[in-house]
Amino acid sequence: MEAGFLRVLLNPGRFFEARMQDEPSLKVPALIALVIGIIGAVSAVLAANLIIAMLPAEAQAFGVIGVIFAAVFGVIGGVLTWIAFGIVFYLISMIFKGKGSFKRTLEFTGYGFLPQVFGGIIGAFFTYLIISRITIPSAMSPEQMVEFSENLATMLVADPLAQISGIVGILFMIWSANIWIFGMKYARNLSTRDAALTVGIPVGLYILYTLTTLAGWL
Amino acid sequence: MKLHYLLVISLICAVAALIGPVSAAEADVTVTSSSLDPSVLMKGDTGTLTVTIKNNGADPVVIRSARLYNDGVVATSDPYPAVGELGAGNNKTFTFTVRADGGEGTFYPKFVVDFRDGGTLRYQVPVLVENTPLSASVIGKPDAFAQGRKADITILVGNPRPNAASGVQVVPQGTGFTVTPTGGFIGALAPDGSSTVRFNLTPTAETDVAFQVIWRNGINTHTADLTLPITFSEDKRQADPVVTNVEVTPIAGGYRIVGDVMNAGLESARSVLVTTGAPAAPTDPFRVYVVGTLDPDDISSFEVTFRADGGAKEIPVVVEYRDDDGNRYTATTMVEVGGVAATPLEESDGGIPPLGVVVIMLAAVGVFGAIYYSWRRK
Repeated sequence: MEAGFLRVLLNPGRFFEARMQDEPSLKVPALIALVIGIIGAVSAVLAANLIIAMLPAEAQAFGVIGVIFAAVFGVIGGVLTWIAFGIVFYLISMIFKGKGSFKRTLEFTGYGFLPQVFGGIIGAFFTYLIISRITIPSAMSPEQMVEFSENLATMLVADPLAQISGIVGILFMIWSANIWIFGMKYARNLSTRDAALTVGIPVGLYILYTLTTLAGWL
Repeated sequence: MKLHYLLVISLICAVAALIGPVSAAEADVTVTSSSLDPSVLMKGDTGTLTVTIKNNGADPVVIRSARLYNDGVVATSDPYPAVGELGAGNNKTFTFTVRADGGEGTFYPKFVVDFRDGGTLRYQVPVLVENTPLSASVIGKPDAFAQGRKADITILVGNPRPNAASGVQVVPQGTGFTVTPTGGFIGALAPDGSSTVRFNLTPTAETDVAFQVIWRNGINTHTADLTLPITFSEDKRQADPVVTNVEVTPIAGGYRIVGDVMNAGLESARSVLVTTGAPAAPTDPFRVYVVGTLDPDDISSFEVTFRADGGAKEIPVVVEYRDDDGNRYTATTMVEVGGVAATPLEESDGGIPPLGVVVIMLAAVGVFGAIYYSWRRK
């Protein structure tokens, strides 16, 4: 921590080089993943509130439960994403004969998620803007609610603000990838080229998927 | 004694010379024909009565005057005060203008000829007066009238009179409609004859159309009116576009409605357009969907896009169409949107707003600046 978060963002090479001197610790990366999960939970709760507004008064109690579920899964989602990326990086780096513990890989992957905090905050802000511009119809039948939810997903994807949010998310993902390249280079003892490939392949696929989702307006 | 006989014979011859020829002429003058034009008058009509006499004797006769005495009809022309001599075997025609001032029936005005040497000829001329007018009836009209819709009207004109009618024509009169032709000419109608006239009538308001039948009986003009009330009602055969299979989908900045429009009427709907009405505001790319002609039982799909306030629960889908005469009609179907979709309140053109571009640019500068910085400090 002595290097600070700013060093992770602006000088990850030096930061990870210094971290290699210490034992792997997952406390800070887990904290970062938790923060990202909380930010994601905020977006999920905002979306859940949108659905609750459709429910009749007698079903509002179920809506509260829905909000709680959205918050919990949002938080858990952040942690699961962190672990998933760590596993993927670890497995791909094995192709390049990477050496280093999974714990170290997971630690450095967690640090690489730091830009996602900013990306998540901006994304949550855009989610709020999008949802605040939507008028929720009054109480509907269950069939209409299902139809509404499907329409809502279609509309959110097509919304210009959602497209901006998506592009900004890609930019912060590129920033994270840059940090992960340095992280994998040290965590898995890879060359810069192999580290770039280890990170570039999954992140490239992720960016491709995101762009495909946004392709409706591009 | 011989002189006495001679004087008596001479006296007899003289008397015979003076009296004998006149008495013979009176008996030999007869009416050979009489006619009335028109042959049957109507009350108030003016006609021409013509009487022809002939001297069938061997000697000429001198006629002092000839006149007509009123009976149901009035002679409006002057009598003949001094006619003169009518030669043996000659004819003479007397013409009187008469007016039917009485009621209906057969009248017998007296034609009287006075001879200079005494004696008269009397003859009763039959004159028929009948007031039966021409009859008119509507034998063809649409089941229902609609404002601005052309209607074919067929009028039958019949002549129940015992004499022919001339110059028969039918003229529609009134306001609140246009008609083509403005008048129909039939001409002569024989007794018990009939003829038809067709009109294309386009009402602009509910009204009464008076079809006036005009004809002449001789020189006399007569009219008969046939009134056709025009009241608007639903045409049982008219096109009836029905909107079905509607599907509402929210899109960026509004909604998209796809559905089918079917003509459930018995007549074709032409120039069919589908759009949305207030409170919806049509937007591109499908502000209006042009279907074209929909024959009876035809069906066509349509697609319209629009923007609406989020509070709107129902949107009118308006189908505009025309009939064969070009009259425009609209059929409106309410479609629920509030219960199945959400709507962005603010107008959106589907592109990224300028502020979004600024945010993206700032983020890009920050991220790529950090990446560049991190590789420089490696």
